[in-house]
Amino acid sequence: MLYKLLPIVEKEIINNKYFILTFSNYDMAGQCYPGQFFRLKNPQQNFPILPRPFSIHNVYENKVSFLIKKVGTATIQFSAMKVGQKIALLGPLGNGFTLHQNKKILIVSGGIGYAPFPFLVGKLNQMKNEIFFFHGGKTAEDIFSNDVIDFTEDGSIGEEGLVTDGIEQFLQKNQVDVVYACGPQMMLKKVTEICKQFNIDLQVSLETIMACGIGVCCGCTIRIIENGKMVYKKVCKDGTVFDGYKVVWNE
Amino acid sequence: MADLKIKIGKMLWKNPVTVASGTFGLEYAELFDISQLGAIVTKTITLLPKPGNEPPRLAETEAGLLNSIGLQNPGLENFIKNDLSEYQKFDTNIIVSIAGSSISEFGEVIQELDRQPEIDGYEINISCPNVENEGIAFGTDKGIVHNLISHLRKITNRTIIVKLTPNITFIEEIAISAEKAGADALSLINTVYGMAIDIETRKPKIKNGIAGYSGIGIKPIALQNVYKVAKVVKIPIIGMGGIRNTNDALEFIIAGASAIAVGTQNFVNPLICLEIIQGLEKYLDEQKIQYNDLIGSVR
Repeated sequence: MLYKLLPIVEKEIINNKYFILTFSNYDMAGQCYPGQFFRLKNPQQNFPILPRPFSIHNVYENKVSFLIKKVGTATIQFSAMKVGQKIALLGPLGNGFTLHQNKKILIVSGGIGYAPFPFLVGKLNQMKNEIFFFHGGKTAEDIFSNDVIDFTEDGSIGEEGLVTDGIEQFLQKNQVDVVYACGPQMMLKKVTEICKQFNIDLQVSLETIMACGIGVCCGCTIRIIENGKMVYKKVCKDGTVFDGYKVVWNE
Repeated sequence: MADLKIKIGKMLWKNPVTVASGTFGLEYAELFDISQLGAIVTKTITLLPKPGNEPPRLAETEAGLLNSIGLQNPGLENFIKNDLSEYQKFDTNIIVSIAGSSISEFGEVIQELDRQPEIDGYEINISCPNVENEGIAFGTDKGIVHNLISHLRKITNRTIIVKLTPNITFIEEIAISAEKAGADALSLINTVYGMAIDIETRKPKIKNGIAGYSGIGIKPIALQNVYKVAKVVKIPIIGMGGIRNTNDALEFIIAGASAIAVGTQNFVNPLICLEIIQGLEKYLDEQKIQYNDLIGSVR
């Protein structure tokens, strides 16, 4: 974990909703592991108060990139920043995904839940896994790449429907060993139900409001079933990746 | 270079900067040498482990942070077994924050901790707004405060700091009561009550509804409480509540605080305490004033 004020070295605008910010730092890039996250804050802005958590989108040539969706004040502020302007970064944080070797792996993402997967896919490919990547979004704007099987709710690109419908059909015909998922909580809950039907190991990456981001404040807790008992776990330090079957999903 | 050394009870602090309980942990040692702080205050410990309140526990507002953690902690035994030895490695004062549901429970915790080396003081948390029996109810009654602190004073020779709530009409009465009972110092303020509502769901953003409010929004409230209490007690005050930078810290010191603690801002800038220490040195050098002369120098 490092804390640094770094200039944006690259800014890629994907569309009206999404953009990628990239930072260059040898030490930070060297510490990154798939599924971990950083906290980013524009030091020039007092509001919002807290830094926001972003998954590591990709790591290459000592660079760390973050896929960001414009959803609120902080992300809109970031979207207005230019290359050369500085952002305070704290990270890498959290535990990330457990990696596998020589397995059939299904990745499921929804919307900005796509963010942590390019880095993960890169690592999984090196470890000789066979990967199937399903991604869903509301419209064509929520779709990022052509090397995945895409679903949109409005059918504007890819197949019309929910990504969870797609994976259910896929799992009826194909066997996979592990599922990695990230996206809205309702999607993750559904993915958990589907994986349960097919008895597949499931790792989900969760998002909550965080204050410290490093395990100090106990603010970002979620409910987990451990040894038959409900316990609180910190998303920032114990996660953000959890065994999907152990998560007590909100109604 | 300015001399920032200060005495808080029986402790000598190398500088007057510490952290507010619940906002700091050993995790920060990965980012900077935490021995540079005047003291480290642990998260509040209770006799038995506490799971904490149901999530969501956090909500950010326009000018501060709402939290309802509910004193989640591993309990005294686990704290001693797993955490204390880690704290003991640092060359600074270690203050253990304590809460309890009865006077005897507080006593039991302190008795046990008194057997452990390298603890320099206790912060008696009688002001947490997020728990029913182990929090604010204790700190709003001067009689109870007197009985509690008198009891603890008999048990320990280590520094006793009493953390006060601002959620009360006359904080001075509680402060005087703690001082008379033998407290070595006071820390103020704990969080104020606050709330935020999601207008889509019409539900409170915090599961418990009402929460503790911290951050910049409470700074004026904290400052006037420090100012009021400093006028009526002789023991040192550790001021806290919305301190984000050196200037904020200076306001508290000028109002009467002998030391300051940073809370919410640790989450924003983990190096803020170091920046404030440097900022205080610079101010004293520039103003050519001794630190002790600055305390309570409001005109």
